[in-house]
Amino acid sequence: MSVGVRRGLLLTGVLAVVAVVAALLVSGLRHDPADTASPLVGRTAPDFTLPELGGPPVHLAALRGQVVVVNFWASWCAQCHTEQPALNATWAKFRDSGVVVLGVDFEDDNADARDYIASEGSDYPVVVDANSRTALAFGVRGVPETYVVDQSGRIVDRIIGAVDAPTLERTLDLLVGGGAQ
Amino acid sequence: MSSREAVRRVRLPARLTGRAGVIGLAALMVVIAGVVALIVVAVRGEPPPTTLAQEAHQIATTLRCPICEDLSVADSPAPLAAQMRQQISQELAAGKTADQIRANFVASYGDTVLLSPPHQGVGQIAYVLPFVVVAAGVLAAWMLLRGGRRAATATPPSRGRPDARQSDLSVADRDRLAEALARLREEEP
Repeated sequence: MSVGVRRGLLLTGVLAVVAVVAALLVSGLRHDPADTASPLVGRTAPDFTLPELGGPPVHLAALRGQVVVVNFWASWCAQCHTEQPALNATWAKFRDSGVVVLGVDFEDDNADARDYIASEGSDYPVVVDANSRTALAFGVRGVPETYVVDQSGRIVDRIIGAVDAPTLERTLDLLVGGGAQ
Repeated sequence: MSSREAVRRVRLPARLTGRAGVIGLAALMVVIAGVVALIVVAVRGEPPPTTLAQEAHQIATTLRCPICEDLSVADSPAPLAAQMRQQISQELAAGKTADQIRANFVASYGDTVLLSPPHQGVGQIAYVLPFVVVAAGVLAAWMLLRGGRRAATATPPSRGRPDARQSDLSVADRDRLAEALARLREEEP
Protein backbone atom coordinates (compact mmCIF):
# COMPACT_ATOMS: atom_id res chain seq x y z
CA MET A 1 0.00 0.00 0.00
CA SER A 2 1.48 3.35 -1.03
CA VAL A 3 2.16 6.15 1.45
CA GLY A 4 -0.49 8.33 -0.20
CA VAL A 5 -3.21 5.68 0.11
CA ARG A 6 -2.22 4.97 3.70
CA ARG A 7 -2.35 8.66 4.58
CA GLY A 8 -5.75 8.94 2.91
CA LEU A 9 -7.09 6.01 4.93
CA LEU A 10 -5.61 7.47 8.10
CA LEU A 11 -7.17 10.87 7.46
CA THR A 12 -10.53 9.23 6.75
CA GLY A 13 -10.29 7.27 10.00
CA VAL A 14 -9.40 10.36 12.04
CA LEU A 15 -12.23 12.34 10.44
CA ALA A 16 -14.66 9.48 11.14
CA VAL A 17 -13.68 9.42 14.83
CA VAL A 18 -14.00 13.23 15.05
CA ALA A 19 -17.42 13.07 13.35
CA VAL A 20 -18.67 10.37 15.75
CA VAL A 21 -17.45 12.31 18.81
CA ALA A 22 -18.98 15.55 17.48
CA ALA A 23 -22.30 13.81 16.78
CA LEU A 24 -22.36 12.38 20.32
CA LEU A 25 -21.60 15.81 21.80
CA VAL A 26 -24.27 17.56 19.72
CA SER A 27 -26.92 14.96 20.52
CA GLY A 28 -26.01 15.18 24.22
CA LEU A 29 -26.20 18.98 24.24
CA ARG A 30 -29.54 19.05 22.41
CA HIS A 31 -31.10 16.37 24.60
CA ASP A 32 -33.44 17.73 27.27
CA PRO A 33 -33.50 15.45 30.34
CA ALA A 34 -37.17 16.37 30.84
CA ASP A 35 -37.99 14.58 27.56
CA THR A 36 -36.74 11.31 28.98
CA ALA A 37 -39.45 8.78 29.72
CA SER A 38 -40.20 8.49 33.42
CA PRO A 39 -38.66 5.33 34.88
CA LEU A 40 -41.76 5.10 37.08
CA VAL A 41 -44.17 4.41 34.21
CA GLY A 42 -45.10 0.73 34.47
CA ARG A 43 -44.08 0.58 38.13
CA THR A 44 -46.03 0.92 41.36
CA ALA A 45 -46.59 4.56 42.24
CA PRO A 46 -44.67 5.84 45.26
CA ASP A 47 -47.03 5.75 48.21
CA PHE A 48 -47.79 8.87 50.21
CA THR A 49 -50.01 10.18 52.95
CA LEU A 50 -50.52 13.92 52.64
CA PRO A 51 -52.86 16.33 54.42
CA GLU A 52 -55.79 17.50 52.37
CA LEU A 53 -56.08 21.25 52.02
CA GLY A 54 -58.50 21.94 54.84
CA GLY A 55 -59.36 18.27 55.26
CA PRO A 56 -58.17 14.87 56.52
CA PRO A 57 -55.02 13.16 55.21
CA VAL A 58 -55.23 11.22 51.97
CA HIS A 59 -53.36 7.92 51.67
CA LEU A 60 -52.69 6.89 48.08
CA ALA A 61 -52.64 3.17 48.89
CA ALA A 62 -56.14 3.51 50.35
CA LEU A 63 -57.38 4.45 46.86
CA ARG A 64 -56.24 1.09 45.44
CA GLY A 65 -59.00 -0.32 43.22
CA GLN A 66 -59.71 3.08 41.72
CA VAL A 67 -57.91 4.94 38.97
CA VAL A 68 -56.14 7.97 40.43
CA VAL A 69 -55.14 11.01 38.39
CA VAL A 70 -52.35 12.55 40.46
CA ASN A 71 -51.94 16.15 39.29
CA PHE A 72 -49.01 18.23 40.63
CA TRP A 73 -49.91 21.90 40.42
CA ALA A 74 -49.41 25.32 42.07
CA SER A 75 -51.42 28.52 42.20
CA TRP A 76 -48.48 30.48 40.70
CA CYS A 77 -48.28 28.20 37.67
CA ALA A 78 -49.74 29.65 34.46
CA GLN A 79 -50.10 26.32 32.68
CA CYS A 80 -52.06 24.98 35.66
CA HIS A 81 -54.72 27.62 34.97
CA THR A 82 -54.74 26.48 31.34
CA GLU A 83 -55.37 22.83 32.18
CA GLN A 84 -57.83 23.43 35.02
CA PRO A 85 -61.01 23.21 32.86
CA ALA A 86 -59.81 19.83 31.50
CA LEU A 87 -59.25 18.49 35.01
CA ASN A 88 -62.62 19.80 36.21
CA ALA A 89 -64.34 18.21 33.20
CA THR A 90 -62.53 14.89 33.73
CA TRP A 91 -63.50 14.82 37.38
CA ALA A 92 -67.13 15.63 36.54
CA LYS A 93 -67.25 12.91 33.90
CA PHE A 94 -65.40 10.10 35.70
CA ARG A 95 -65.98 10.65 39.43
CA ASP A 96 -68.75 8.04 39.50
CA SER A 97 -66.77 5.57 37.36
CA GLY A 98 -64.03 4.65 39.79
CA VAL A 99 -61.72 7.56 38.98
CA VAL A 100 -60.30 9.99 41.52
CA VAL A 101 -58.65 13.23 40.47
CA LEU A 102 -56.19 14.17 43.20
CA GLY A 103 -54.44 17.54 43.14
CA VAL A 104 -51.03 17.75 44.83
CA ASP A 105 -50.17 21.35 45.68
CA PHE A 106 -46.45 21.92 45.02
CA GLU A 107 -44.26 24.67 46.54
CA ASP A 108 -47.22 26.89 47.25
CA ASP A 109 -48.81 29.05 49.90
CA ASN A 110 -51.93 27.46 51.42
CA ALA A 111 -53.96 30.67 51.28
CA ASP A 112 -53.05 31.20 47.61
CA ALA A 113 -53.97 27.58 46.90
CA ARG A 114 -57.39 28.00 48.53
CA ASP A 115 -58.04 31.19 46.55
CA TYR A 116 -57.04 29.40 43.37
CA ILE A 117 -59.40 26.49 44.05
CA ALA A 118 -62.26 28.84 44.85
CA SER A 119 -61.70 30.88 41.69
CA GLU A 120 -61.34 27.82 39.45
CA GLY A 121 -64.34 26.02 40.94
CA SER A 122 -62.47 22.76 41.53
CA ASP A 123 -64.09 20.31 43.94
CA TYR A 124 -61.84 17.26 43.72
CA PRO A 125 -59.53 16.51 46.66
CA VAL A 126 -56.31 18.51 46.90
CA VAL A 127 -53.42 17.58 49.19
CA VAL A 128 -50.40 19.64 50.21
CA ASP A 129 -46.87 18.36 49.56
CA ALA A 130 -45.26 20.80 51.98
CA ASN A 131 -41.70 19.42 51.79
CA SER A 132 -41.88 18.29 48.11
CA ARG A 133 -41.00 14.78 49.20
CA THR A 134 -43.84 13.28 47.19
CA ALA A 135 -42.90 15.37 44.15
CA LEU A 136 -39.33 14.09 44.42
CA ALA A 137 -40.54 10.50 44.76
CA PHE A 138 -42.60 10.92 41.57
CA GLY A 139 -39.66 12.51 39.76
CA VAL A 140 -41.50 15.79 39.19
CA ARG A 141 -39.50 18.30 37.12
CA GLY A 142 -42.01 21.13 37.28
CA VAL A 143 -45.72 21.86 37.31
CA PRO A 144 -48.12 20.94 35.97
CA GLU A 145 -47.25 17.28 35.77
CA THR A 146 -49.84 14.51 35.86
CA TYR A 147 -49.57 10.80 36.58
CA VAL A 148 -52.32 8.27 35.87
CA VAL A 149 -52.31 5.42 38.39
CA ASP A 150 -54.38 2.35 37.54
CA GLN A 151 -56.52 0.23 39.86
CA SER A 152 -53.53 -1.90 40.87
CA GLY A 153 -51.50 1.14 41.92
CA ARG A 154 -49.26 1.09 38.83
CA ILE A 155 -48.35 4.30 36.97
CA VAL A 156 -49.57 3.93 33.39
CA ASP A 157 -48.99 7.42 32.03
CA ARG A 158 -47.17 10.66 32.75
CA ILE A 159 -48.15 13.95 31.16
CA ILE A 160 -45.68 16.83 31.32
CA GLY A 161 -47.33 20.23 30.96
CA ALA A 162 -51.01 21.01 30.67
CA VAL A 163 -53.30 18.02 30.13
CA ASP A 164 -55.97 18.14 27.47
CA ALA A 165 -59.35 16.58 28.22
CA PRO A 166 -59.65 14.31 25.14
CA THR A 167 -56.23 12.68 25.69
CA LEU A 168 -56.81 12.17 29.40
CA GLU A 169 -60.32 10.83 28.80
CA ARG A 170 -59.05 8.32 26.24
CA THR A 171 -56.59 6.95 28.80
CA LEU A 172 -59.24 6.78 31.50
CA ASP A 173 -61.77 5.15 29.15
CA LEU A 174 -59.24 2.38 28.53
CA LEU A 175 -58.73 1.88 32.27
CA VAL A 176 -62.39 1.95 33.37
CA GLY A 177 -63.74 0.24 30.27
CA GLY A 178 -65.58 3.26 28.89
CA GLY A 179 -67.91 3.23 31.87
CA ALA A 180 -67.95 6.99 32.41
CA GLN A 181 -71.36 8.53 32.94
CA MET B 1 31.28 15.24 35.19
CA SER B 2 29.93 18.29 33.42
CA SER B 3 26.43 18.39 32.03
CA ARG B 4 27.87 18.50 28.50
CA GLU B 5 29.81 15.27 29.10
CA ALA B 6 26.67 13.65 30.49
CA VAL B 7 24.76 14.65 27.40
CA ARG B 8 27.54 13.25 25.19
CA ARG B 9 27.59 9.95 27.12
CA VAL B 10 23.91 9.24 26.52
CA ARG B 11 24.55 10.14 22.88
CA LEU B 12 21.58 12.38 22.41
CA PRO B 13 20.92 13.47 18.84
CA ALA B 14 22.74 16.67 17.95
CA ARG B 15 19.50 18.67 17.70
CA LEU B 16 18.78 17.91 21.40
CA THR B 17 22.15 18.95 22.79
CA GLY B 18 21.92 22.63 21.91
CA ARG B 19 20.31 25.32 24.06
CA ALA B 20 16.99 25.01 22.22
CA GLY B 21 17.10 21.24 22.69
CA VAL B 22 17.60 21.55 26.46
CA ILE B 23 14.73 24.03 26.72
CA GLY B 24 12.58 21.72 24.64
CA LEU B 25 13.41 18.76 26.87
CA ALA B 26 12.65 20.80 29.98
CA ALA B 27 9.32 21.88 28.52
CA LEU B 28 8.52 18.29 27.63
CA MET B 29 9.30 17.16 31.17
CA VAL B 30 7.08 19.91 32.62
CA VAL B 31 4.22 18.80 30.33
CA ILE B 32 4.71 15.14 31.32
CA ALA B 33 4.79 16.08 35.02
CA GLY B 34 1.58 18.09 34.58
CA VAL B 35 -0.18 15.22 32.82
CA VAL B 36 0.93 12.75 35.49
CA ALA B 37 -0.29 15.13 38.24
CA LEU B 38 -3.66 15.49 36.50
CA ILE B 39 -4.02 11.72 36.20
CA VAL B 40 -3.15 11.24 39.88
CA VAL B 41 -5.72 13.89 40.94
CA ALA B 42 -8.37 12.42 38.62
CA VAL B 43 -7.84 8.90 39.91
CA ARG B 44 -7.66 9.83 43.58
CA GLY B 45 -10.58 12.30 43.41
CA GLU B 46 -11.60 14.57 46.25
CA PRO B 47 -10.56 13.74 49.79
CA PRO B 48 -13.21 11.71 51.64
CA PRO B 49 -15.73 13.77 53.63
CA THR B 50 -15.31 13.81 57.37
CA THR B 51 -18.75 15.09 58.42
CA LEU B 52 -22.31 14.26 57.37
CA ALA B 53 -22.74 17.80 56.03
CA GLN B 54 -19.65 17.41 53.84
CA GLU B 55 -20.87 14.04 52.62
CA ALA B 56 -24.34 15.46 51.88
CA HIS B 57 -22.72 18.29 49.92
CA GLN B 58 -20.55 15.85 48.02
CA ILE B 59 -23.60 13.75 47.06
CA ALA B 60 -25.47 16.91 46.04
CA THR B 61 -22.62 17.87 43.70
CA THR B 62 -23.14 14.61 41.80
CA LEU B 63 -26.86 15.17 41.20
CA ARG B 64 -28.45 17.39 38.56
CA CYS B 65 -31.13 19.81 39.73
CA PRO B 66 -34.23 18.44 37.91
CA ILE B 67 -35.76 21.84 37.19
CA CYS B 68 -32.58 23.78 36.32
CA GLU B 69 -30.36 24.13 33.28
CA ASP B 70 -27.24 22.10 34.08
CA LEU B 71 -26.84 23.05 37.72
CA SER B 72 -25.99 20.57 40.41
CA VAL B 73 -28.29 20.12 43.38
CA ALA B 74 -25.48 21.61 45.51
CA ASP B 75 -25.30 24.79 43.42
CA SER B 76 -28.96 25.34 42.57
CA PRO B 77 -30.98 28.00 44.42
CA ALA B 78 -34.28 26.31 43.37
CA PRO B 79 -36.58 25.26 46.25
CA LEU B 80 -36.79 21.72 44.82
CA ALA B 81 -32.99 21.46 44.95
CA ALA B 82 -33.09 22.69 48.55
CA GLN B 83 -35.59 19.92 49.32
CA MET B 84 -33.28 17.42 47.66
CA ARG B 85 -30.37 18.62 49.81
CA GLN B 86 -32.54 18.28 52.91
CA GLN B 87 -33.63 14.78 51.87
CA ILE B 88 -29.99 13.78 51.27
CA SER B 89 -29.05 14.97 54.77
CA GLN B 90 -31.99 13.15 56.36
CA GLU B 91 -31.26 9.91 54.54
CA LEU B 92 -27.57 10.09 55.44
CA ALA B 93 -28.50 10.62 59.07
CA ALA B 94 -30.82 7.60 58.79
CA GLY B 95 -27.81 5.48 57.78
CA LYS B 96 -28.21 5.25 54.01
CA THR B 97 -25.10 5.22 51.88
CA ALA B 98 -24.32 7.70 49.11
CA ASP B 99 -25.00 5.06 46.47
CA GLN B 100 -28.37 4.19 48.01
CA ILE B 101 -29.38 7.85 48.09
CA ARG B 102 -28.35 8.37 44.47
CA ALA B 103 -30.17 5.16 43.49
CA ASN B 104 -33.39 6.53 45.04
CA PHE B 105 -33.20 9.66 42.90
CA VAL B 106 -32.34 7.60 39.82
CA ALA B 107 -35.40 5.42 40.49
CA SER B 108 -37.59 8.54 40.32
CA TYR B 109 -35.83 10.60 37.67
CA GLY B 110 -33.76 8.14 35.68
CA ASP B 111 -30.04 8.31 34.93
CA THR B 112 -30.37 11.92 33.74
CA VAL B 113 -30.43 13.05 37.38
CA LEU B 114 -26.77 12.03 37.63
CA LEU B 115 -24.26 14.65 36.52
CA SER B 116 -21.78 11.93 35.57
CA PRO B 117 -23.03 9.08 33.40
CA PRO B 118 -23.27 5.68 35.11
CA HIS B 119 -20.40 3.20 34.73
CA GLN B 120 -22.69 0.73 32.99
CA GLY B 121 -24.62 0.35 29.76
CA VAL B 122 -24.42 3.23 27.30
CA GLY B 123 -22.90 5.43 30.00
CA GLN B 124 -19.65 3.48 29.72
CA ILE B 125 -19.05 5.09 26.32
CA ALA B 126 -18.32 8.39 28.06
CA TYR B 127 -15.50 6.77 30.02
CA VAL B 128 -14.04 4.62 27.25
CA LEU B 129 -14.31 7.06 24.35
CA PRO B 130 -11.60 9.54 25.51
CA PHE B 131 -9.05 6.71 25.75
CA VAL B 132 -10.06 5.44 22.31
CA VAL B 133 -9.71 8.93 20.85
CA VAL B 134 -6.30 9.50 22.49
CA ALA B 135 -5.08 6.07 21.35
CA ALA B 136 -6.33 6.77 17.81
CA GLY B 137 -4.57 10.16 17.88
CA VAL B 138 -1.28 8.64 19.05
CA LEU B 139 -1.56 5.94 16.40
CA ALA B 140 -2.34 8.51 13.72
CA ALA B 141 0.59 10.71 14.79
CA TRP B 142 2.95 7.74 14.83
CA MET B 143 1.87 6.61 11.36
CA LEU B 144 2.20 10.15 9.99
CA LEU B 145 5.68 10.53 11.47
CA ARG B 146 6.73 7.13 10.16
CA GLY B 147 5.34 7.96 6.73
CA GLY B 148 7.18 11.31 6.77
CA ARG B 149 10.48 9.63 7.68
CA ARG B 150 10.09 7.05 4.92
CA ALA B 151 9.33 9.77 2.41
CA ALA B 152 12.43 11.65 3.59
CA THR B 153 14.69 8.59 3.25
CA ALA B 154 13.15 7.72 -0.11
CA THR B 155 14.27 11.11 -1.56
CA PRO B 156 17.85 11.75 -0.39
CA PRO B 157 19.69 14.81 -1.64
CA SER B 158 20.71 13.91 -5.16
CA ARG B 159 24.44 13.58 -5.75
CA GLY B 160 24.27 12.76 -9.40
CA ARG B 161 21.74 12.87 -12.11
CA PRO B 162 18.36 13.93 -10.65
CA ASP B 163 15.77 11.16 -10.51
CA ALA B 164 13.68 11.50 -13.63
CA ARG B 165 10.66 9.88 -11.93
CA GLN B 166 10.40 12.72 -9.37
CA SER B 167 11.34 15.64 -11.57
CA ASP B 168 9.20 17.92 -13.68
CA LEU B 169 12.29 19.11 -15.60
CA SER B 170 12.87 18.25 -19.21
CA VAL B 171 15.72 15.91 -20.12
CA ALA B 172 17.84 18.84 -21.35
CA ASP B 173 17.21 20.83 -18.17
CA ARG B 174 18.07 17.81 -16.03
CA ASP B 175 21.34 17.37 -17.91
CA ARG B 176 22.18 21.06 -17.44
CA LEU B 177 21.32 20.77 -13.75
CA ALA B 178 23.51 17.68 -13.35
CA GLU B 179 26.43 19.46 -15.02
CA ALA B 180 25.99 22.50 -12.78
CA LEU B 181 25.92 20.30 -9.67
CA ALA B 182 29.03 18.47 -10.80
CA ARG B 183 30.86 21.80 -11.31
CA LEU B 184 29.80 22.96 -7.88
CA ARG B 185 31.15 19.78 -6.27
CA GLU B 186 34.47 20.18 -8.06
CA GLU B 187 34.77 23.75 -6.78
CA GLU B 188 34.10 22.64 -3.19
CA PRO B 189 37.31 22.48 -1.07
